[in-house]
Amino acid sequence: MTWVFENVSRRPVGTREALRRWIVERRPDITSDAIDDHTPLIEGGYLESLDVADLLLFVEQLRGRSIDVDSLTPGAFRDLDTLHSTFFGDPGP
Amino acid sequence: MTRLAQTITRLCASSRRTFRNPYTWLVFPDEVNRTQWFTSPELISLYRTPVWDSLSERQRRVLSFWEAVNFYSLNIHGEKTLMEGVARVLYHGDFLDASDYLHHLLDEENKHSIYFGTFCRRYAGKIYPDRKLAFPSDRAAGEETFLLFAMALIFEEIVDVYNAVMGKDDRLDPVARRINANHHAEETRHLRFGRELVPELWRQAAHEWPSDTITRIRAHLEHYVRAVWREYYNPDAYRDASLDDPWAIQNAAWSHPNARRHRRTVSAGCIGFLVDSGVLEKEPVL
Repeated sequence: MTWVFENVSRRPVGTREALRRWIVERRPDITSDAIDDHTPLIEGGYLESLDVADLLLFVEQLRGRSIDVDSLTPGAFRDLDTLHSTFFGDPGP
Repeated sequence: MTRLAQTITRLCASSRRTFRNPYTWLVFPDEVNRTQWFTSPELISLYRTPVWDSLSERQRRVLSFWEAVNFYSLNIHGEKTLMEGVARVLYHGDFLDASDYLHHLLDEENKHSIYFGTFCRRYAGKIYPDRKLAFPSDRAAGEETFLLFAMALIFEEIVDVYNAVMGKDDRLDPVARRINANHHAEETRHLRFGRELVPELWRQAAHEWPSDTITRIRAHLEHYVRAVWREYYNPDAYRDASLDDPWAIQNAAWSHPNARRHRRTVSAGCIGFLVDSGVLEKEPVL
């Protein structure tokens, strides 16, 4: 498990939770419990195509290495579970 | 003849007068000295941030090379998206009268990508990948086409501010200076076309679109301006310039007040135009 730290409280959170918070922080109209592991992110309007570059930079920072962007498809962003296994599963792109 | 039609006639004549063979017009030397300036220092993403202050003159010049590779790479990706979209509307009913100029636009964008791609591949051995990814969209065709040209206007106007400065910057390596100068000269026509076309498309369609469509378009364009700017802060370039913790550098540079001021200054012309045209209601948060 990779641990990251929240900016404010410095409490460690897992990468899955870090991804959830990243998405929620960009949508002031929702709370973190609106996104479970299988909530459709694209169809639900929680993630737009223009968010992807920012999200990939965030994931790269969590992983400490670049992502092979050419291998990605929109399916990788379907829901939190897919997102997490794509970038933090073994092996990731 | 409408104002747009007059502009198209004038732009076609200009494009034909300055038509160039991209394989003979610019001769690329076998190699370049990476410790020359390739990006004007004032336009480097880290300029006037704490990291910039910590770099030696040599490190700054090396970074300027990799920032040029990033600038040319993002141009390649932006032009590719534009060419795909323009190819879709070429000879389409609504754009039939613009087809003569769209051929020139496609030709010139393709040539720009040849210059950018040759530089990146010959001197850096790479083109930085595009982190943008298009999701399937359920937008109506008219909305999609409007966004294509409005986003192209934003992208090209920001790029052009850089080209105009660097095309005249005697500190730059001659190849970099010439690529920028040529891009500025030809993009001036594309910008003229965009500034005529985008308000015209808006006038034709905006009164037919429901208010939630207009709200969605405005939000998308505001989001797009920020997404364009994000590409100028590329951790890949920082890593290639041998800077430690490139993602932290990217975050810090993006958030720095001087960088934010720079983005607002460079974007002011195009944002002001879109606000004056009624396309945007306000300046996006940058």
